[in-house]
Amino acid sequence: MTRAFRRTIGAIALGGALLAATTASSAELNAYSIWPENWARPMLVEFQNQTGIKVNFLRFSSGEALARIIAEKNNPRVDVLFGGPVETFGAGAKEGVFEAYKPPAFAVLAPRFKHADGQWVAIADDPLVFMTNAKFLADNKLQPPQSWADLLHPAYKNGLQMADARTSGTAVTRIFSVLEVNGRDETKAFDYLKRLRGNVQLYTKSGGGGTLPVGLGQAAGGIFFIVDALDTKAKGYDVAISFPKEGIGTAAEGIAMIKGAKNPDSAKKLIDWASSPAMQSLFALHKINFVPAHPEVKTEPSLAAVLKDAKIFPIDDAYAGANRKRIVERWVAEVLPGN
Amino acid sequence: MRRAALGRDPTLVATLVVLWSLLALFVVYPMVVLLGRAFVDEGAPSLGPLLSVVGDPHHRKAFVNSLLLAMLVGVFGTLLGLLFAFAATRASLPRSWLSAFDAITLLPLISPPFTTSIAIIFSFGPRGLITHDLLGLTGTSAYGLPTTLLSETLTYFPIAYLTLKPVLASIDPNVEDMAYSLGASRRRVFWTVTLPLAVPGLANAFLLLFAASLADFATPLILAGNAFPVLPTQAFLQITGLFDFKGGAVLSFALLVPAAVVYLLQRHWVARSHYVTVTGKVGPQSGYKGTTPLVRGLIVVGCVLVALVVLYFYALLLFASLVKAFGADNAFTLAHYYAIFSEGWRAIRDTLIIAAIGMPLGGLFGVVVGTLIARRDFPGRDALEIVTMINYALPGTIVGIAYLIAFNDPPIALTGGAAIIVACYVFRYSPTGIRATVAQLQQIDPSIEEASQSLGARSGETFRRVTLPLVLPAFFAGLGVVFIRSMTAISATIFLVSISWTLITVRILENMTELSLGPAAAFSVFVVLAVFAVTAGVSTLLRRLKAPGTAPISVFGT
Repeated sequence: MTRAFRRTIGAIALGGALLAATTASSAELNAYSIWPENWARPMLVEFQNQTGIKVNFLRFSSGEALARIIAEKNNPRVDVLFGGPVETFGAGAKEGVFEAYKPPAFAVLAPRFKHADGQWVAIADDPLVFMTNAKFLADNKLQPPQSWADLLHPAYKNGLQMADARTSGTAVTRIFSVLEVNGRDETKAFDYLKRLRGNVQLYTKSGGGGTLPVGLGQAAGGIFFIVDALDTKAKGYDVAISFPKEGIGTAAEGIAMIKGAKNPDSAKKLIDWASSPAMQSLFALHKINFVPAHPEVKTEPSLAAVLKDAKIFPIDDAYAGANRKRIVERWVAEVLPGN
Repeated sequence: MRRAALGRDPTLVATLVVLWSLLALFVVYPMVVLLGRAFVDEGAPSLGPLLSVVGDPHHRKAFVNSLLLAMLVGVFGTLLGLLFAFAATRASLPRSWLSAFDAITLLPLISPPFTTSIAIIFSFGPRGLITHDLLGLTGTSAYGLPTTLLSETLTYFPIAYLTLKPVLASIDPNVEDMAYSLGASRRRVFWTVTLPLAVPGLANAFLLLFAASLADFATPLILAGNAFPVLPTQAFLQITGLFDFKGGAVLSFALLVPAAVVYLLQRHWVARSHYVTVTGKVGPQSGYKGTTPLVRGLIVVGCVLVALVVLYFYALLLFASLVKAFGADNAFTLAHYYAIFSEGWRAIRDTLIIAAIGMPLGGLFGVVVGTLIARRDFPGRDALEIVTMINYALPGTIVGIAYLIAFNDPPIALTGGAAIIVACYVFRYSPTGIRATVAQLQQIDPSIEEASQSLGARSGETFRRVTLPLVLPAFFAGLGVVFIRSMTAISATIFLVSISWTLITVRILENMTELSLGPAAAFSVFVVLAVFAVTAGVSTLLRRLKAPGTAPISVFGT
């Protein structure tokens, strides 16, 4: 049996060696990406090709990514938080998990696309939209919803899908949009959210999780980021995209360096690159419907056409970051259980 | 020589010290930390967190729903398993039919547990292929109890089938024959002879399915919807989205109670099931008379229908992996397969490395513990057996959350590495190897080993040269189980993946909860094929290694 144990120990040592071999290397970068792989991968692959820096990334919904970064505060495992709505970055800055860094593009970015101290900067802008299944609308003789109140129509009962605020930044952006159109009156906003709950069939883990069921017609509609909604349409699903007349929020998509990052130089290079036209001009090329944050990059014409008459307001990172935790907890306690 | 030998047998002592240290670290410690989180509030013992869950109507509803779902999955899964087991042992079907049934029931066992749920989203609901396109129904929903139940039942009924087949096969037809010759009707024989003999097996199957359903958060995550919240999914979202360790620990504890009850009941029934074979060896078949042609026909039709449904779901999955965008653009493409082998390669590589490290460790651990339990008498043997079963018996969600909480911070910070995932597999899935070893050794006379020892060999040498060759099949069975679970399990390990180590199943779930259905389907097809190949290989090896006169070992460890 002793030999058996020597073998066991040998196997463990081998495992350890493999582990060490994969984690230790020089020009590397580790990132949590909140953008789904479809959007993050082409960007990060381009970065890798242009700089030779090897990027390891793992995709999480924004709540998950934020929770992990906070939990790993004393021993950060990643260098960069890549993509994801501004409220997540606001909350992260409040928790003190980011290292301030101002890339060259910092000076030209609009104030809402950067944290004053450089805790984060924006790499894109991403409005929310209403997306509904076209056949469902035709069957029920409905127009695409033009108002938040339209989503309360009985035809949508148990028919909407949207993201779960525990995991998804899309959901949190949606909730802050409702707060804004109600003049930040939390009582009124939560009253609306609770009524909307009756029409929601499923709160999905990821922001884009409901797009496929809506595309297939298994769900009637939902509230999504435009990047996910237009992709669903581009794949060939028959969906309608509309905006509420009261307005809807748009989230600056951020990037930030993690405090205590093990590869700070690589992290800065990625932030420089992602906040510059070098990356943002690739959106159109890869048919990714983010609105560029950098003023020198033009919005792709078909995307600009969709957004032309929409009333869109930015989510305020300071307000959202300061209240995110409390609002999410209130949503979990009051809205999620239903009646 | 046995108990007295403890002091004079340094190998045994050393082995026990190592085993107990490992079990203390990877089984006992995480559970203690989990309970500590759930029951200690600001340094003082408190029932507050637990009471707050009990007092929360949403959580109470989720708890009741979980038990209801697990109960229904247990009942329907056991019935389907019984149907197939009856067809396999009592319907005198041709061999080719039986092989076909076996192959089809294998599919759910060798795929990640939530794969059918994608197919269900396509099939039911307002635009579902079945409810709308085929049946023309309107106003249906793809979400809720019915579809979740269907998905979990189809996923887990093969466990019941594998459990019940040997039970029915071991009921001596001569006992039934005797009843007939005493003038009993077919129905009376079934109700008074066959069924009572099968009851322990049925109970065991029910409890296995109950536990499997109780652990499954992924299927309800996709299918249950807002109308039917269940506890495992709520605990998962609480932990993964909010890193609310306390809330997650308390919700886990709420799951732990029914799981522990089920485990104790199961031990009770399994212990009784040993008495099933009254006469020892099954006598010569006199031809089974228990079924009329009508009943036989109904059973076969039932099995064929279920098999077709399973095949339909997997065909749909294959189709989804080969078209550009299911339901919108059904043009053929291999792009999703290209994607999983390029973009998804890291997940595949990590999974295979972790499986490669975990397999020999899991196999060895099973054989060493199994041999000790079956062959040696030492203080604390029963305790050792029970502790090795804990991580296996508990729902994976609890084990995963316990590992995450216990190993996230110093003194023992392991999260982020491969070791914690390997440890999770080894200590969660080795009981199959342990039980296979025990079963194997019980069929081999201990005098062979005693002969070796009396000829002067020490216990280490005896183990290596005598026992090891005898338990080699159990070793490979343990190995196979770890591989299958590495490729298919998710409930525990989803909490343990990190930037450095990720797993295929986690990628599939992530792809499914985003919108990349094609890669999710392609990954699933890959897993089914890989696991099928390895299972076939290991099964062939096991048949080769099978000592004459011993019972065959299954890699599924049911």
